[in-house]
Amino acid sequence: MAAVAPARLAALNRLRCEIFQTAYNPTSVRTGAKYLRARLRGPSMIRYYPDQLTVAQFNRMPGDFKIQNWEEYQRLADVEEKKRRGKGVPKKAKSPAESRRMSRKR
Amino acid sequence: MPNARVLRDIKARHGVNANEILRRAYLYVARNQTLPAQVRFQAQLQLNTFGRYTRPTTVKNRCIETGRGRGVISEFGLTRFQFRQKALANELPGVHKASW
Repeated sequence: MAAVAPARLAALNRLRCEIFQTAYNPTSVRTGAKYLRARLRGPSMIRYYPDQLTVAQFNRMPGDFKIQNWEEYQRLADVEEKKRRGKGVPKKAKSPAESRRMSRKR
Repeated sequence: MPNARVLRDIKARHGVNANEILRRAYLYVARNQTLPAQVRFQAQLQLNTFGRYTRPTTVKNRCIETGRGRGVISEFGLTRFQFRQKALANELPGVHKASW
């Protein structure tokens, strides 16, 4: 079988690209087309975690039916209880000298 | 309430989704060898200005149940232990423990 001339093959390729409407790129130059061709990943990315309805979201919905967030209620009650026993958050230091970092012994 | 790492991941996912088209356009210009080098360089500089939570590589598929980042079986989105527990509880359709 006789070898086909390279020029003929190139012509065939060009014609093929014309027919199938693909880019004729004989020297394989990087045109960046793959970044345009690739599908967008974002829409499927944001659907990865299933939607979880929180109590606050539920209460923000229209309608009269509201529910109590017992975990938040308990947390606030615990904070109050700690404050009552003097175990609350310390006061913000007004000056560097007041801060705990400064008063710590070396 | 998902843990902080999951929240960060959700943030990254939304950032990627919001900036994807613009980033793709810049990528196309920056990687296109037929364009002048000056233009490509400018596009690359623009790409570098995007924040960290706009890059698709910052997104990690974490366990949808516990938020663990390792040992996640991608088909179910669960870590290996959650997968085992749910499979044993018959919560995963078509999955049951091998026995022969």
